[in-house]
Amino acid sequence: MVHRSGDRERCGTGIEGLDTVLYGGIPRSNTVLLTGSCGTGKTSLALEFLIHGALNGENSLFVSVTENSEKMLANIIPYNFFEESLVKSGKLVLVDLPVMYERLGMTKAELTMEEIDLLVAAIASLVRELGTKRLVIDSITSVCYKLKTSEKIRDFILKLSKALSDVDCTSILVSEMSAQASSYSMFGVEEAISDGIVLMANMERRGDLLRTLQVIKMRGTMHSRAKYVLDLTPEGVLLAPLLKGGSAGT
Amino acid sequence: MSDKRVAQLIVDELMEAPPSSAVSLQMSIDHYLEVLRGVLDLFASKKEADVIYVTSTISFDAIKRVLEALDINTSRVFFVDCISHMTMGASSGHMDDHTTLVESPTMLENVMLKVEYLIRLSDASEKIVVLDSINSLAIHNNNWILSEFLHILVSGLRARNVYTIILSVEEHSTPEINNMVNLVCDHGIRTNPKEE
Repeated sequence: MVHRSGDRERCGTGIEGLDTVLYGGIPRSNTVLLTGSCGTGKTSLALEFLIHGALNGENSLFVSVTENSEKMLANIIPYNFFEESLVKSGKLVLVDLPVMYERLGMTKAELTMEEIDLLVAAIASLVRELGTKRLVIDSITSVCYKLKTSEKIRDFILKLSKALSDVDCTSILVSEMSAQASSYSMFGVEEAISDGIVLMANMERRGDLLRTLQVIKMRGTMHSRAKYVLDLTPEGVLLAPLLKGGSAGT
Repeated sequence: MSDKRVAQLIVDELMEAPPSSAVSLQMSIDHYLEVLRGVLDLFASKKEADVIYVTSTISFDAIKRVLEALDINTSRVFFVDCISHMTMGASSGHMDDHTTLVESPTMLENVMLKVEYLIRLSDASEKIVVLDSINSLAIHNNNWILSEFLHILVSGLRARNVYTIILSVEEHSTPEINNMVNLVCDHGIRTNPKEE
């Protein structure tokens, strides 16, 4: 019998369509870059991944970099399956990275190599302390702005990925990119060192703007590389195949 | 054929169709109201089913008014309205929990997604999806994409044991549209005006 999905244990995202695309979910302990321009649904999808994990008993951690996490939670789509008790019980923890920067004394605009090590150690320590199995950093691009150089970004993501993988934590790094970008990330480094890339985009077709999702790469599993149309609903992210009959091949 | 017989014919034929069937219902334009009665009132009531009614012909509130005039209970009818937004006829004042809008009938993927969403919300054991109509969708979409849409939609609904009823208007149909519908349907019903 052929096992199409390989032998890696899966971290089901709980998003039915995406788990189908990934033949069962993200290979456990992978670090996935969830990338796209603004308004494509990255934060909603990432949060849904954490909520499903928390509902299944996996401790989940959301690290908010740009927006106050409480404000983010208030603005996010009101999922029917979201339970306040997940936050109260600590199954779903929301942390604001600027608060961590402050506590670690990282007040300068650019982090040094030592500070990068300190930041990775602080996140890894938090993950261990909370027993986190699912992590989202929203967004990694904002962290990268404090790193400035490709070398530092590469160093940070590699060290962070290793630290998370060592504790069996599956993570999603949300990445911002411009709509016209030719690479999958703002600095062009993040995409090369992640285990997976999920691209979310806005696609215009005959004047209609469709939200799309495409898995570009995912180490440790076979996956569909087709483009899907998605909808953000109170029942979660839903996916449908992109129809090709009338498309000009965008 | 008398109007009452049309509604009864539709119910009799639909009751014979096994669960998860896809049915082509080709009607004369004069029989539209009786088709609504047959499908949304008699058939859906007998099956105790929730109905997801995809309209690309007239707005959901116009259909609702018609159903109310016909004394048909709309509490189990959920609308996917593909026309109100495009014609700038959608006003939030008329919206309710039973209605979801698709911006344009050209956004066929979003029609599939809204149908999926409403299926997830429904707790009825039987569900019926009505597509009203293939002819009006054909005004906005070419045959290739429409054919692909029907194939994916009907296959997905069949896999979930949902009835699909595709309405077409005999006077507006073409051989291409009929072929497209016949390809995905296992059963056909006609309310043929020539028999009257």
